[in-house]
This record gives sequence, structure tokens and C-alpha cells, in this order.
Amino acid sequence: MSTALTPAPATSPDRRVQDQVVPRRSPRRGRHTVWYLLASVVVLFYVLPLAYLVNTALKSNAEFSRNPIGLVSDPRLGNFVEAWQQGGFAGYTLNSLLYTVAAAGIGTFIALVMAFPVSRGYVRGSRWWTAFFVVVLFLPNAIITQFQLLLRLDLYNTRLGYILIMAAGVGVGPLLMNGYIKSVPVELDEAAALDGIGYWRYLFTFVVPLVKPALATTFLLQAIWVWNEIILATILLPDQTKAPLTLGLLNFQGTYSNQWGLLAAATMIVATPLIVAYLFLQRFLVSGVLGGAVKG
Amino acid sequence: MSSYYPFPRKTPMRVTFLSGLTLLTAFGLVPAIGVVVLSFTDIRGLPGIPVRWVGVENYLDIVSPAHFGDNLNAIKNTLIFGVVTTVAQIALALAIAVLFNQRLRGRNLYRAIVFMPTVLGVTVIGLIWSLIFNPSGGPAAGLLARLGRDSAFFGDPQLALGLVMFVQLWSVLGISVVIFLAGLQAIPVELYEVAGIDGANAGQKFRHVTVPMLAPSITANVLLGIVSALQSYQLTYVLTGANNPATQLLSLLVYVQGFGGVAGSPVSQSQGYASAISVVQFLIVGAIAVTALLYLRKREARL
Repeated sequence: MSTALTPAPATSPDRRVQDQVVPRRSPRRGRHTVWYLLASVVVLFYVLPLAYLVNTALKSNAEFSRNPIGLVSDPRLGNFVEAWQQGGFAGYTLNSLLYTVAAAGIGTFIALVMAFPVSRGYVRGSRWWTAFFVVVLFLPNAIITQFQLLLRLDLYNTRLGYILIMAAGVGVGPLLMNGYIKSVPVELDEAAALDGIGYWRYLFTFVVPLVKPALATTFLLQAIWVWNEIILATILLPDQTKAPLTLGLLNFQGTYSNQWGLLAAATMIVATPLIVAYLFLQRFLVSGVLGGAVKG
Repeated sequence: MSSYYPFPRKTPMRVTFLSGLTLLTAFGLVPAIGVVVLSFTDIRGLPGIPVRWVGVENYLDIVSPAHFGDNLNAIKNTLIFGVVTTVAQIALALAIAVLFNQRLRGRNLYRAIVFMPTVLGVTVIGLIWSLIFNPSGGPAAGLLARLGRDSAFFGDPQLALGLVMFVQLWSVLGISVVIFLAGLQAIPVELYEVAGIDGANAGQKFRHVTVPMLAPSITANVLLGIVSALQSYQLTYVLTGANNPATQLLSLLVYVQGFGGVAGSPVSQSQGYASAISVVQFLIVGAIAVTALLYLRKREARL
């Protein structure tokens, strides 16, 4: 699957073809207005549900039952306090952080140490290894065997077992690294080796700083997947105290299914850090998706 | 392919390469292949129970009268879900990408907003839309009430699958938009200029320049859409539960058959049978993806 897509790198935005359809010389005002109108419809379609979530989270139970849809008249933060206390989100958050950092960290490490020698041709059969990287991208759901494997390794219902399963879900990581490492000149390898620098020292102190963007993207893509996983967590971690945030939120929904203000507040508690992080990391993600699409 | 290795010793490279490979194989590749093996056994969810080879019995079970109805329903839902969401995703994403590719102020912000659900995750997305489609007092219900109607939304078997597809679309659209935008920005301006000189209008430019030049992005998006739509089940799980006939997908059926749909009670479930369903699902997804790929490749070649 080598779909030859050649996107402009998302981090350096598109100066080239900015004005291809609407000619610069004769900007037709009417058409512009239509474009903006359509764009706002799309944006609203994404922003309004979130705004409604905030609106609901600020409503007390009494206000919600009186006026479930309208704008909040007496905003209260009580729902957040109660949701945080009732939901036990502190523990779930710590679990999620641990799983995400550990699994995505290991996954990124795997991607790096496998992709570098393959990309350089230092291992035999580079072509086949690249194909292998594509195969791991399209592995089918294997919940039954993952469960059985952990059960038989005595890793069922353990944090380590869950982390190992999630770490193996490297997705586009190795492919991404494989492509990006080619931007590091081979001559650098030779020069370093001539200076007597060993393989590990070279890889981790010379290559790592040079491929940081790809490492960040690889880490982030896997981190998002791990952070949001819910079915494997349900299967592999029956113990409530080990559950990640997604499962905690779902359980919270099960318990407080009619208290929409509280539910909305709980949802916001989970979503807000993600949105804030997203604002900062957006560019890495976009380029990562493109990297995957190019190679996939 | 293999090039000269300049470093003094090969051992360090082998150590890290093989440790990565071992992890990937043990916890990724082996489980994926193991599904096929387990589908020929009567393995259960508890250790210590002897495991027997049962040949193709599990596969016969899939089409046995007791199960066939449920399985056919799940296959039907999976196909509807996969086809409708993929087609709608491509069409809508292409339209939005063309729109955002105009000279609009703040379009990077728009792109970021549409892409955001990717980060939010299924639980948050599921809760937001449950809130909106809340039958008693949600905004969607309020809107319907003005028209003098009501609906159970996710609780209505006629509507549930459609609504889940709608939410799925909302959450995956951004990825396709980003891919299409990149494709659009790689099209040389000269092509549009030449088409303009030849007297092409906006529609003709789209039809004869944009679409052919976008063919690779379309292929990438179709494949992504098919694979993700046919394998995604987390959103459905969150929105309507694992064992809801109206939204039963093959991947959810695997979960229900293998784990009873209830956390921590995998005792009586035949996981061999669940594995067989997994294999069938994989074959269906694979067949559709490969067919689509071959078709799109042929089209690309013609364009």
C-alpha cells in the first residue's frame, strides 16, 4: 500500500497555492461571504456541541429540570466539585497518565530502535522489514487472544500486562520514523563512527535530537490511542482501582445517568486537559496523520 | 539494500532491534495470528480448562440456525455502517477541504477545530452526543417537540444505527479533511490557470483538475475509512451498549461472545467461537479493502 500522496508538510503551511480558485485580482465579495458562511456552519457544527456541554455543566439540577436546553441563568461550579469527588477521577487520571506515558513511551522506543537500522539498511532485508511495519499497521482486532495471552502469562488484571499490550499497538510509528530518519545524512553515521562513537551513543544522543519532530508525532499518535482506549481496558483490567479515565467516565455515566449537569461536568473534567493539550500539540498531530496517509 | 555498517560492533544494534521486535511480535503479531488458531478450538475464558481442537465447528456454528440470525444482522449492520460512513466521510470531507482551501482568514483554526474530536476520544464524544440526543430535555428532543414530534433517539431501534453513524462521521471527518487539504495544496496552481485559459468554469475545474489530482488522497481516505469504519466499535459500545441488536456490529459481537459484554465474567463464554467471528470479520474487511484498493488503483491509472 504505497499510495503516493505528496502533501506539503503541514507544519510549513501552504504558501504556494493559497489563492487558486478565487483569483487575487478580482475577489468577488459575494462569493467570499458564501464561503465564510459555509465555513461557519462547519465550525459551529463542531463548537456548538462543546458549548452545550459547558452550558449544561454549569446548571444545577433544579435549573436543568426547569430549563434543560436554554442558556444557563445562574452558573454554578458545584457540579465540577461534586463530579470530581464522586467520580474518583484523581485515581483514574493517574492510571491513564501511567498507561499513556509508559505504553506510548515504549512504543516510540520500539519505533526508533527498529526503524533506524531498517531505514539505514544496517539489517538484512530492509524491504521486508518495511513491509512488516505496514503489516503491524493493519493488524486485526485480537481482543480474545490478547486476553488469553495475558491470562496465561499471569499478567491478566495487572498494569504491566495492559501497558505491554498497548505498547505493541505502535500503529504508524515505525513507518513514520523509517521515513523521517532518511533526512539524517548517512555521512553523519560514518563521521561519528570514525570518531569512535558506539551505536547506542550515536542513536540516542545524535539521532534522537535530529528526529525529535517524528518522535513527538509517533508518541502523540500512540498516546491518543492509549488514552482513549476503552474496550481492552474493560477486558484486561477488571479491577476498578486500575481502570483508566475512559472507563471511570463510563462508570460514572452508569451511576449518575440522569444527572445531566453532573455528567456534563465530569465529561468536561476529562475533556478540558485534552483540548488544552491539543491546542499546543495540534501541528505535530496533523503532520502525523499525513505521514501515516503518505506511507499507508 | 543493506549498506555498510560503520560502527565498531553490531551487538548493540541487534540487542535493541531484537528487543523491539520481540515486544511487537509477542504482544501484537502473535495475538493477531493467534485468533485464527483459537478459532479452531473450544477455548474458554478461564485458565485450567482443557482446550480441545474442534476443527471447523465454530465456523459451522456461525451459520447454524441458532446463531445465523444474529450473525447476519451483525454482518448487515457492519456493512451498512462501513459503506455509509466511508462514502459520506469522503464526500463531506472533500467538500469541507475545498471550502477551507479557499482564501479564508483563520482557516488553520477551522482545520484544527474539525480535527479536534480525534483527541477527545470515544467516551467524551459519546457523552456529549448522549447529552444532545437525550430523549427527555435534550436539544434534539426540544427541536422535535417544536415540530410536534418525539423520539427515543439511541433507544429507537429504527434510528440508533443512523445516529451512531452520524456521531462516527462527526468524529472522524477531521482526519479526512486534513488529508484532502494536503492533497489540494499539492496541486500546482498552473493547472488551474491553464484550465482557466481554456475557458473552464469552477465546476469544470473541480471535475477535471481537482478530482483527478486528488486521486491518491481519495484512495488513502477510502482505505482509511473502510478499515476504521469496519473495525471501530468503541463508539458504538459507548453510545448504545455492546449487546443492542439495532447497532450490533461484528466486532461488538466478538466482544459479547467472548466476554459476555459484562466486565469480569468471561467464564462460560466460548472464546473459540468469538475468535471465529473475528476471523470472518477480518476476511470481510480485508476483501472489501483489497477490492476497493484495486478498483481505485485502476481508476488512478486511467485518470
